[in-house]
Amino acid sequence: MQRALIFSSSNPIYSQLSTTIAPPDSAVFPKRDGGWIGPFSSNQPPVFRLRNYKRTLLPPLCSASDSVANQPTMASQDEQDPRISKISSAIRVIPNFPKPGIMFQDITTLLLDTKAFRDTIDLFVERYRGKDISVVAGIEARGFIFGPPIALAIGAKFVPMRKPNKLPGEVISEEYSLEYGTDKMEMHVGAVQAGERALVIDDLIATGGTLCAAIRLLERVGVHVVECACVIELPELKGRDRLGDKPLFVLVSST
Amino acid sequence: MSAYRDKDPRIHGIQSKIRVVPNFPKPGIMFQDITTLLLDPKAFKDTVDLFVERYKGKNISVVAGIEARGFIFGPPIALEIGAKFVPLRKPKKLPGRVISEEYELEYGRDCLEMHLGAVEPGEQALVVDDLIATGGTLCAAMKLLERVGADVVECACVIELPDLKGRERLNGKPLYVLLESH
Repeated sequence: MQRALIFSSSNPIYSQLSTTIAPPDSAVFPKRDGGWIGPFSSNQPPVFRLRNYKRTLLPPLCSASDSVANQPTMASQDEQDPRISKISSAIRVIPNFPKPGIMFQDITTLLLDTKAFRDTIDLFVERYRGKDISVVAGIEARGFIFGPPIALAIGAKFVPMRKPNKLPGEVISEEYSLEYGTDKMEMHVGAVQAGERALVIDDLIATGGTLCAAIRLLERVGVHVVECACVIELPELKGRDRLGDKPLFVLVSST
Repeated sequence: MSAYRDKDPRIHGIQSKIRVVPNFPKPGIMFQDITTLLLDPKAFKDTVDLFVERYKGKNISVVAGIEARGFIFGPPIALEIGAKFVPLRKPKKLPGRVISEEYELEYGRDCLEMHLGAVEPGEQALVVDDLIATGGTLCAAMKLLERVGADVVECACVIELPDLKGRERLNGKPLYVLLESH
């Protein structure tokens, strides 16, 4: 499997380059050879068997002035933070989960590597600290793992975005499409105030349907979503395009 | 043992942030809602700090958090004490090979799963959740860890409902909570 390691910020030009229609939600990945994981022990990094493994950096698509404005701590757009490669290699790929043809990106192995997990959080915190962000919204359930440590470090509140009927008290709901049918995401009424600046966090962006629903929930109550942040992006599913004008920041891009 | 009895000055602030929602998820239940605690950055930080102060430097290498609210408190604690975080999940959420432990509900049964290979024999572990009620879920969590040879040092929750006697269900394992609610 080819895994491009990037450290990229928002990419206004990228969406203009895309000419294909967005795939349906939960689109099945194309099947590919290589990149399966053997039995795994927590004392070793996961074993990859890769075919034609190529480490590529995406070409810089932001203008130089954008990259300075968005990433004041980065020297240049196509330099990669040295922490990224360990984070990427700590992520395990499980073939045919939850159904045949899907190569599932499993972040639980990242959570077993204390340094890599720490580095993951640090990379987000370094980006968002001191940017007047008062809300970190995390999407159930894996967004609950990454969101709170980020929120605590930047002094923001944490707002869980949940499946239906989990949050007690008054909620607002947003429906979104799945491959077959729809699902619903809920947020507590009163958790956020109009005018607050928010991040939306999840472990991974695929088609972008879930992130989109989260953005809509926040915007409906007058919150400004500054950026969406995920550990992993699956660029072939064009989730980034689905976010429209909302920037997306990811640590690892997996093709 | 609970911090409430120890009268740490941060406890009152934490307690005041927890919202009680009546008749959720069904009539008669007074639901202890921790989401309002998460909206107060200082109170949330104090909550995590109280656990970190207790467990740092105690050679704990595993923090197991129970889906889903254990995922909110567990990782910050794990990161601060230098332990790995292991999610304990409802069935069919974890990819790859898992072990499962069934447990009783009021009506019927449920199941908790953990990844094979996440925890090594002999590791010292904490189990974290937002609340202990009857103790059924925490018990299942402990069993999963013990089945792979880990030593569960303590269970840690923000809130205990002592009237439901969950503490007794833990087979002698210690329980540490910040608050009690009667």
